[in-house]
Amino acid sequence: MDTLDVRGMACPLPVVSVKRALESAQGALLVLLDDGAPRENVRRFAQGRGYRVQEEAAEGGFALTISGAKVAEQAAAAAGSGPVVMLIGSDRLGDGPEELGRLLMKNFIITLLDQGELPDRMLFLNTGVLLTAEGSEVIEVLDALGNRGVEVLSCGICLDYFRKKEKLATGSVTNMFTIEESLLKARSVIRL
Amino acid sequence: MINEGDYVAIFNSIHRVMEAEKLLKAKQLQILLIPAPRALAADCGLAIRYAQEIRCEVEAVLAEAKLLPRELYKKQGEEFLKIEG
Repeated sequence: MDTLDVRGMACPLPVVSVKRALESAQGALLVLLDDGAPRENVRRFAQGRGYRVQEEAAEGGFALTISGAKVAEQAAAAAGSGPVVMLIGSDRLGDGPEELGRLLMKNFIITLLDQGELPDRMLFLNTGVLLTAEGSEVIEVLDALGNRGVEVLSCGICLDYFRKKEKLATGSVTNMFTIEESLLKARSVIRL
Repeated sequence: MINEGDYVAIFNSIHRVMEAEKLLKAKQLQILLIPAPRALAADCGLAIRYAQEIRCEVEAVLAEAKLLPRELYKKQGEEFLKIEG
């Protein structure tokens, strides 16, 4: 059985790491994590995807054994493989007045929280990274999406350009190679 | 997104809600423009969320600018309690 240690990681990293590990795990996965939000989020995420979760106290936290029916994965396989990727190349949604575009983008992201089906990955590029950096009003929402298994990735060059490299407030930094690879391997790409 | 005890002010015009947001932010009030919760508005209305602690200030600013919301709710448990003006 594969073991994954996410102790000491801040949310939503535990969920994101578990999600990645489950994608490549052959059998059951043993996850060592901190009690509290990480434990709650990982359990909810795994159960939501049809896995069985067994919990027991372990040194410095909890040990979760995640196994069994990969309902969501099987459904995904039946529908074609690869993740659903959302590409956000701007902090505005649609053409038109900037102010309206920003408001629509913010509302779009907040409304995602009400959706049952979410993208596997959200890629933020160009002014899109202003949504993931300090000062953005959707950090709380993107963290919540992260806790539901959505991988939030921001373009490093773009953060650097806007002098926000040290100010990323949710998700992690990525590079052009990973962005391209994500798009090429995606089952579908939703471009905003 | 909407925490226990938060107020949710629903506006029926995009122009009014955007003006209200601008005014409140200019006063450094911690508000957030959000989509109106589906339980409260059938159309794609917008709302402003704020906490109990700043309720008086927020509503004073809105009243002065004649930008009071169409409806006001308070989040309580799973429900939204309508606040009658």
